[in-house]
Amino acid sequence: MGYETLKLCSGRSAFESIPNPKLDLDLSAIRGKLEAAGVRVVDARVMLIFQLEHEVTLGRDGRILIKTADPKAADRVFQALDRIAGLSLRGSGSVPP
Amino acid sequence: MSRGVMLMSGGIDSPVAMDQLLRQGHDLTAVHLDNRPFTDDSPLAKVVDHVKVLAQRHGRAIPLYVLPHGPTQITLMRSTDRHVGCVLCRRFMWRTAEKIAEREMATFLVTGESLGQVASQTLSNMRTATIAVKLPIIRPLIGFDKLEIEAAAREIGTYEISTRPGLCCQAVPDRPATRSNLVQILGEEERLDVDDIVDECIRKATLYSE
Repeated sequence: MGYETLKLCSGRSAFESIPNPKLDLDLSAIRGKLEAAGVRVVDARVMLIFQLEHEVTLGRDGRILIKTADPKAADRVFQALDRIAGLSLRGSGSVPP
Repeated sequence: MSRGVMLMSGGIDSPVAMDQLLRQGHDLTAVHLDNRPFTDDSPLAKVVDHVKVLAQRHGRAIPLYVLPHGPTQITLMRSTDRHVGCVLCRRFMWRTAEKIAEREMATFLVTGESLGQVASQTLSNMRTATIAVKLPIIRPLIGFDKLEIEAAAREIGTYEISTRPGLCCQAVPDRPATRSNLVQILGEEERLDVDDIVDECIRKATLYSE
């Protein structure tokens, strides 16, 4: 259940994590949390796009895409998103070796 | 020879299609619809390099217009049925390309589409998409398979550019429609100010010359 790992996407320029099973997130509530933390959010109804250390796309189904090919940076963004939005992301060190 | 406007994506196909028409002696103007934030910086960088390679290969200038398509995608995602998002997106790309064609006095449009390759390239979706414009559309690769296109891309020196790391379009829905109904598409567009969206995109065009 939930998020387990960040994997390099097929285009090799971003890391993604897809929860299993897929979620049905309340993107309005998450947008509110992000904006309260001073993050500017593009709301495309079925996904939010916003800038943390790197740009992030968060889908309503819970898919997270972090636009960096650096696994350590991706993990930092993953943890920052967990802190701000409280998605119950699992543990640190989520990027597999 | 007449001038055409070529839609360039940064992928493997469009530079091969462009090369085919340049070899025939046509003048081309390249158009790239910049899909950020639904992709990253890589498609634009690839298109700039593709145009550079082909301009050198054929010894001629190829103007490149870059237009912001991300705002259009956001509008589509907020206001229309996600399943037909790729067809709607494509209709806006064609409309924008046609406006650039008017500006450049071009008489045809060109694309690297080949039949059935992706959801927007089924016969049904190509028909529904291209009905949005009046200019003829040339598809030099329509009957090519992917291996033939890749071989041609290697030969002209664009394959390595196309296959650099890059993010696919994140606006593509999980299950895009492979058959589209024009009545539904027109109904979706009734919720939009189509002319305003296209004009805004054109107003923010950036012209590069190579």
